[in-house]
Amino acid sequence: MIQRILAFAYRDWLFARRNIFSVVEMLFWPIVGMLSIGLMGNFLKLTRDQQAFILTGAIALGTLQVTQLDVAYALLHDIWSKSVKHTFLTPTGVVEYLIGPWLVGIVRGTVVFSLLSGFSMYAFGFYLPGVLPTVLLLVGLFLNALLMGGLVSILVLQYGQKAEISAWTFAYLFILVAGIYYPATQLPRFFYHIALFIPLTYFLDYFRTYYGTSAHLAAPLWRGFGLLAFLITAMFFGLKLSLARARRTGVLLRLSE
Amino acid sequence: MLAVEIKDVQKTYPNGVKALQGVSLSVEKGEIFGVLGPNGAGKTTLLNIMSTLLVPETGTVNILGLSALSQSDEVRSLMNLCSGNANFAWSLTIRENLRFYGMLYGLKSAARERKLDELITAFGLEAYAERRFDEVSTGTKQRMALAKSIINDPQLLMLDEPTVGMDPDIALKVRRYIADYQRRTGCTVLLTTHYMPEAEMLCGRVAFVRDGQVRALGTPDELRNKLNAKDMEGVFLELAK
Repeated sequence: MIQRILAFAYRDWLFARRNIFSVVEMLFWPIVGMLSIGLMGNFLKLTRDQQAFILTGAIALGTLQVTQLDVAYALLHDIWSKSVKHTFLTPTGVVEYLIGPWLVGIVRGTVVFSLLSGFSMYAFGFYLPGVLPTVLLLVGLFLNALLMGGLVSILVLQYGQKAEISAWTFAYLFILVAGIYYPATQLPRFFYHIALFIPLTYFLDYFRTYYGTSAHLAAPLWRGFGLLAFLITAMFFGLKLSLARARRTGVLLRLSE
Repeated sequence: MLAVEIKDVQKTYPNGVKALQGVSLSVEKGEIFGVLGPNGAGKTTLLNIMSTLLVPETGTVNILGLSALSQSDEVRSLMNLCSGNANFAWSLTIRENLRFYGMLYGLKSAARERKLDELITAFGLEAYAERRFDEVSTGTKQRMALAKSIINDPQLLMLDEPTVGMDPDIALKVRRYIADYQRRTGCTVLLTTHYMPEAEMLCGRVAFVRDGQVRALGTPDELRNKLNAKDMEGVFLELAK
């Protein structure tokens, strides 16, 4: 299993290194997002804590998007290369299929987080509340990225290549409902209840208590990690079922054509 | 011992196409067995089912004594497949692609690199090893696909139109390599092909498939005699009617 995890990490790393688009994904959009939010904060004369609060949303979005794309790319690169059948001809399971690229995603996500945080500190007076809260936020973001990338793969196996659009939209949708630039309590009631089922909500809320404003959700870390454990297990199970269905219906072969 | 034992396999695609209608087949260990038939006959569907990429509605599929339906992970580690016009990661070089599959089959680093060198030499890929997959010719891609298909020393090797797109001289070399590889390793080879001379040169027995059913089965000599044909081309034309 370790060999296969390394195999998928190796392939994803080569894809990322050779694709100029992946550099744009990693730097251009996250920096544009962070700059526009930082400058808007300056214009609105926000306090340092308020500025840090909204910048956290921009930094989290950039980190989440880059990491989850790597996970989603596991299947998408196979589809674009028309090599799906050769990959699933090997004794590969769904866990190693996602974990390998996720490890590369963690490296890329850490780089994005460091760059965005560093630049925000320099340009907008952003600050991190400490090592432990930062590490916990990052762990939460990376696990959420694994969950989202896995969901993209399930959708693609269920509905074919047209569902690949979810790879570029999921992170934005999830973080919008989880409270990107506002506490989740600001959401309309219906969406607030949805937010409570998204683990990301709890990690953002936990981190932002250090900036003085949050939804003050009870036991955010316990609930965040608990939800993640449940949803990631369900995601892997769903992916396994989707793969079995794709073998039955011939979708697996069609994705190779 | 049987390498492949298929009983009453049926497969209908969601669009209603009945690809296989009760196929039963046995292949002895160490045989080179040909599956022949016109386009759309069900040959590739049959290979896809044997390689666990497709699941039939009914029937049993045993590969090397294991069920391809309930023990598919074990089956996958014992076999491999090379298909015509195969595609692999475009932006990876030939060597990187082979290394990736070597890792997937669990080859450890030193043994894996030795294996890569051996395969690259055996299939004449030295000049292309460091070139990206999308930069090489169809024939070179096909040779890489063949190299990939034996990277795990499979006990069952499935070749779906393995020489398609190759120049005649390279195709001949590949056929010789397949025959030699089978002799050296004693593995079972299942081959689909449209080139009847290829079937004649390589296969000990062949099955002729048409409309999702096995219409004839035997050695090339038996089929020639039975149908009064002078070669396998004649057998094909007679059975495809």
